[in-house]
Amino acid sequence: MLASFDAHLFWEVLRSGPYWKGALLAIGLTCASLGAACVIAFPLALGRASRSRAVRFVVFLYSWFFRATPTLLLLLLIWDALPQLWPVFRGSWFSAFLAAFVALALNEAAYMAEIFRAGLLSVDPGQELAGRALGMKRWQILRRVIVPQAVRIVIPPTGNEFITLLKLTSLASVISVHELLTAAQEQASVKFSFPEVYGAALVYYLVIVSVLMFLQSRLELRFTFRSRARRSRLAFAVPASHDAR
Amino acid sequence: MTDAVVLRAEAVEKSYDGLKVLDGASIDVARGQVKVIIGPSGSGKSTFLRCLALLERVDAGAVYLDGERLSGVKERDLAAHRSEVGMVFQRFNLFQNMTALRNVMTALVDVRRLPKREARERALEFLDRVGLADKAGSYPEELSGGQQQRVAIARALVMRPKAMLFDEPTSALDVELVREVLDVMEDLARDGMTMVVVSHELRFAQHVASSILMMDAGKIIEEAPPARFFSSPTHERTRRFLALVE
Repeated sequence: MLASFDAHLFWEVLRSGPYWKGALLAIGLTCASLGAACVIAFPLALGRASRSRAVRFVVFLYSWFFRATPTLLLLLLIWDALPQLWPVFRGSWFSAFLAAFVALALNEAAYMAEIFRAGLLSVDPGQELAGRALGMKRWQILRRVIVPQAVRIVIPPTGNEFITLLKLTSLASVISVHELLTAAQEQASVKFSFPEVYGAALVYYLVIVSVLMFLQSRLELRFTFRSRARRSRLAFAVPASHDAR
Repeated sequence: MTDAVVLRAEAVEKSYDGLKVLDGASIDVARGQVKVIIGPSGSGKSTFLRCLALLERVDAGAVYLDGERLSGVKERDLAAHRSEVGMVFQRFNLFQNMTALRNVMTALVDVRRLPKREARERALEFLDRVGLADKAGSYPEELSGGQQQRVAIARALVMRPKAMLFDEPTSALDVELVREVLDVMEDLARDGMTMVVVSHELRFAQHVASSILMMDAGKIIEEAPPARFFSSPTHERTRRFLALVE
C-alpha cells in the first residue's frame, strides 16, 4: 500500500466546487479560443495563397508576430498593458476571462493557419480544375469540394492543438483566471496533501482528453468518404507533439 | 446553317515560364463532329484542350464558342460559359468527398440552379446512361478506374454541354477497363455529340472520328479524315509518329 494516500480526501477534492468550476473554465476557454482561432485562421490560410503581395505580407506579419510572442507575455500585454494604453479596456466588461480568450485565440490562430494551409494544399489540384470545368465559382468549389476534403487532414493536428491549448489555459492563472490547475495549487497550499490534490487534477485532464479523443475519432469517421459499411476502423488517437509555447 | 461551328480556336498561343507550349494552334469543330487529336507528349495537346475548355487564358489568338469570342472575357463571367463545355480528364478528377450521384448532380444545383429533387432525378438518368445507376451511392474510391471515368462522363454530360472534350480519357486505365469507356464515347458520338478527343486509341479514332489532327510543337500540323490520315499522311512528322504508335 502507499504510505499515505487518503482516498477519502482524494474523493472529496475530486468532487469539490473549485475543481469542477476550474475544469469547466479550462474547457470553455479552450473551446472558445480554438473556435475563434479557426475563424481567424481560415482567411489567413487562404491569404497565404493569395495573388496579392500585400495580402501575403499581412498574413506573414500575423504569423511572425504571434508565433514569436510567448503566450504568457501576450496574456500580460493584453490584460495589464492594454488598459494603460487605451482607457476603454479599464471598464469592468474587460474581464480576465475575456483577456485570456483574446490572447489565446490570437496566438492559436497563427498555428491553426499553418494547419489549414497544409490541409488545403493536400487536396489534389485536379479537384478544383474539375469544379471550374463544370462552371462552379471559386467559393462553391471551396465549400463543396476542397474544404470537406481538407477537414479530414486538419482534424488530427487540430486535436493536438486542443490538448496544447487546454494545458496553456493554466497560464491564465497569472491574470487571475481560476482554471483547474490554479484550483489544484490553491488546494495544495492549504492541505499539503500533494498526491491527493494533484492526483485529482490529473484525473480531470485524463478524462477531458479521453473524451476529446473519442469525439475526434467520430469526427474523422464522418469525414472519411467511403460507404458506411466499408469504413475501416481508424486509429484512435494521435500523440500530441511536445510544445513549449 | 446546319454545319455551324460550335467550337473554334484561332491561332492560340500560350507560354508557361517563357516556354511556348502553344504556338498558333487552330481548330474548327462543327456540330456533331468528332475530332481526335494525336501527337507526341509535350506537343501541347492537353494545354490546347484546356484552352478550349476555357480553363486557361490564351496569350494570343482566341477561342470561340457558338460564334462568341470568349478569350478576354472576365473571369467572373467565364464560369457560366465553362459549364457549356464538358471536360473529361485523364485522371477522372471525381470529387472524392461525394458519391457518384452527388458528383453528377452537384453542378446542376450550384450552377444550373435546379431544385435538388430534379437534379437528383436527372443525375440518376445520366448515371443510368453510362450503365452505373447501381453505383449511385458509391464513393470514387470504391469504383474501378473505368467506372470512375464513366461517372466523370455522366457528370459532364448532365450539364447538356454544346461540346465534350476528352483529355486522354483512357490512358490512366488498365487495359481491360478501356473498352467500357470507349463504348460510352462511341455511343455519344453516334448520338451526334460534338467532341474533341485527345487520345492514342487509333482504332477508336478510325471508327468514330470525323477527322484526325496531328499536333506537334504547339501547332496542328495536319488534319484529315481517318482513312486518308492513316493511309497517306502528308507530313513527315505524322508518318514517323504513326509508325511509332501502331
